[in-house]
Amino acid sequence: MSHFSTVKTELRDREALVAALRDLGHNPSDGEQPVRGYRGQTVLADLAVASPEGSELGFRWNPTSGSYELVTDLDLWKQPIPVERFLAKLTQQYALRSILAASLEEGFQVTEQRQATDGSIELVVSRWDG
Amino acid sequence: MPQHTISFRIRPDGRVEELVSGISGAGCEQLTERIEARLGNVQQRQPTAEAYQGQAATVNPEQTLSTPVT
Repeated sequence: MSHFSTVKTELRDREALVAALRDLGHNPSDGEQPVRGYRGQTVLADLAVASPEGSELGFRWNPTSGSYELVTDLDLWKQPIPVERFLAKLTQQYALRSILAASLEEGFQVTEQRQATDGSIELVVSRWDG
Repeated sequence: MPQHTISFRIRPDGRVEELVSGISGAGCEQLTERIEARLGNVQQRQPTAEAYQGQAATVNPEQTLSTPVT
């Protein structure tokens, strides 16, 4: 049955999250890493984004929500875009990576992918059964 | 040979709208479930008019909830 649905994206899949971070030009580390905060305090992240001065942002797995959450000291935020914009861009890229990976696993092929003028990514996948 | 097609619109804030069209079958359901397992819970799901009328129909793209990502 045809249906139309809307999903509020959560960062649940580590592989897609790593791929999305790389797409955005970051270098995510594997394994637990300390993320630096104010006055040299650190917090452990399950996945940290490396920078020359050490990691200033990372992601921690939240077992309750079943998703990764950003951990960072906002006073030390050095990314060229505000944190809200950073998270939005990351989430969009994560959604794209997740959908592409899941589509391939289910035997679908990408028949169309384009960037819409409002910043949305439009994607069409198809599969022939015969 | 039926073709299964799924269209996605990934909003700049990461919200995903999905439209399954054509002769939908188990394949689409499986893909939809696989994607939802990675992305999150469906906020709204409704059959398209096509499912009632048995013919192609356009879906109003404004049929979405606009809950921002927090």
